[in-house]
Amino acid sequence: MYHFDWAVFWHYLWPGTALQDPLIRGGLIATVVVSVIAQLMGVILGLFAALGKMSKFSPLRWLAEAYVWYFRGTPLLVQMVLLYYGLGVTHIYDFPNLHLGLLTITGAIQAGTLALGINEGAYMAEIVRAGIEAVDTGQMEAAKSLGMTYGLAMRRIVLPQAAKVIIPPLGNEFNNMMKTTTLMEVISAGELFFGFNQINARIFKPFELFIALSMYYLALTTIWTVIQARIEAGLGERKGTAKTPGVFDRLFGTKFGAH
Amino acid sequence: MAEKSKPTAAAPKDASIIVKAEKVNKYFGSLHVLKDIDLEVRKNEVVVIIGPSGSGKSTLLRCINHLEKINSGHIFVNGRMIGYYEKDGKLIEESEKNIAAQRADIGMVFQRFNLFPHLTALENIIEAPLNVRKIAREQAEEDAMRLLARVGLAEKRDQYPNQLSGGQQQRIAIARALAMKPNLMLFDEPTSALDPEMIGEVLSVMEELAKEITMIVVSHEMGFARAAADRILFVDEGMIIEDTTPDELFTNPREERTKVFLSKILN
Repeated sequence: MYHFDWAVFWHYLWPGTALQDPLIRGGLIATVVVSVIAQLMGVILGLFAALGKMSKFSPLRWLAEAYVWYFRGTPLLVQMVLLYYGLGVTHIYDFPNLHLGLLTITGAIQAGTLALGINEGAYMAEIVRAGIEAVDTGQMEAAKSLGMTYGLAMRRIVLPQAAKVIIPPLGNEFNNMMKTTTLMEVISAGELFFGFNQINARIFKPFELFIALSMYYLALTTIWTVIQARIEAGLGERKGTAKTPGVFDRLFGTKFGAH
Repeated sequence: MAEKSKPTAAAPKDASIIVKAEKVNKYFGSLHVLKDIDLEVRKNEVVVIIGPSGSGKSTLLRCINHLEKINSGHIFVNGRMIGYYEKDGKLIEESEKNIAAQRADIGMVFQRFNLFPHLTALENIIEAPLNVRKIAREQAEEDAMRLLARVGLAEKRDQYPNQLSGGQQQRIAIARALAMKPNLMLFDEPTSALDPEMIGEVLSVMEELAKEITMIVVSHEMGFARAAADRILFVDEGMIIEDTTPDELFTNPREERTKVFLSKILN
């Protein structure tokens, strides 16, 4: 029978001891920071891609369509290695390590973040477009009749209303993003999974280590779920719209998607 | 569309002509919704447009501020062709910026109000003066408060549209359009989405307004037409069938289909 090493398990589960290891401390920070930056990139790229897809100017529309088609139609893992090794081997861009004072951002982290962000943009494009399309066309007409240009009307009138529709799925995307950062392990970017894997290579306790590791992701997504519920409740309250699902319903998937 | 040698259109020289439409044609696909429309509206005139649904009356109104494109003809507003310029006898659409600048001088009130739901009543009114006219905030708010008082809703300044009744929302929408200091107001069935008890409050605001600004109103409110309109147009199948005074139309309609239509809406 397998002897479960409780000492190792507790050591790597308990943040007080686990985070003393620079592999885990750095990995956790990288996971969170990469998630946030990649998601922000995704939102910005998604916004432009959505506007591009709705553009009357056909080359712009085709460009946006092609972007979404490619990045949703191919595996993220392939995109990531293509970006890192592909660009590196051709010397188009070598992803050198960036030294910012005390902080070093490795090339692998840069490439991984970029791949995650570009890939996310393709998914966000559809979410943003659905949000914009959910806003009554009379809003754009009213804005135009007041002398607003398309851009001003979009920025001041349509997008603030679309945000209400965009934010719930955006929250779910971020939840996914935190877990998807694990793919960066293949290009040896020093995120959380990579950190635990390195330790496992040294002490070979995969069962104990990876259960502990899964608990870190569970903690991250649970914390985010609480934040997301707060954000959405705040949005709903101000506009007097329907109640959003609570934290319990979100965590256990009950009543979810009933909007 | 088929005219080969049309004379170059010239803007009306008479500055008292606010709107001038010449041989305007408009198609939705193969449907011919406006047929050779000619129309002149003078400063401070109040023109009411009536007609069966699908007759093209709302489309005509929406062409006047270029919310709809036209296929041929010309529309001049405030002495300038709206939405297009002409090159070698062809209509070429104006840049977005120029169209926006032209629209800024034309107020429009919609059937479904189209207030901005994420902004309060006051914010709805100051939004365009602030961001289009670039007026200072204090000035914009002062103007907005005066307009709110005028439509009888000063105490609603901080309410969101969904906290207001339909009649109140429409009065705010009128104030929002007036905040741009337009010299022409277009009303697209402003009372047809309202409960009957709220129609009066909107019409009385409009009647007051009719004394001082040029208005084109698509509406079947015959009481309003009688009280405020200088002219009334009956539009059917994309053509202006009658263009006369309200008294003349009600007592002595020329065309048979006008009589039939009037008997329907008056009963």
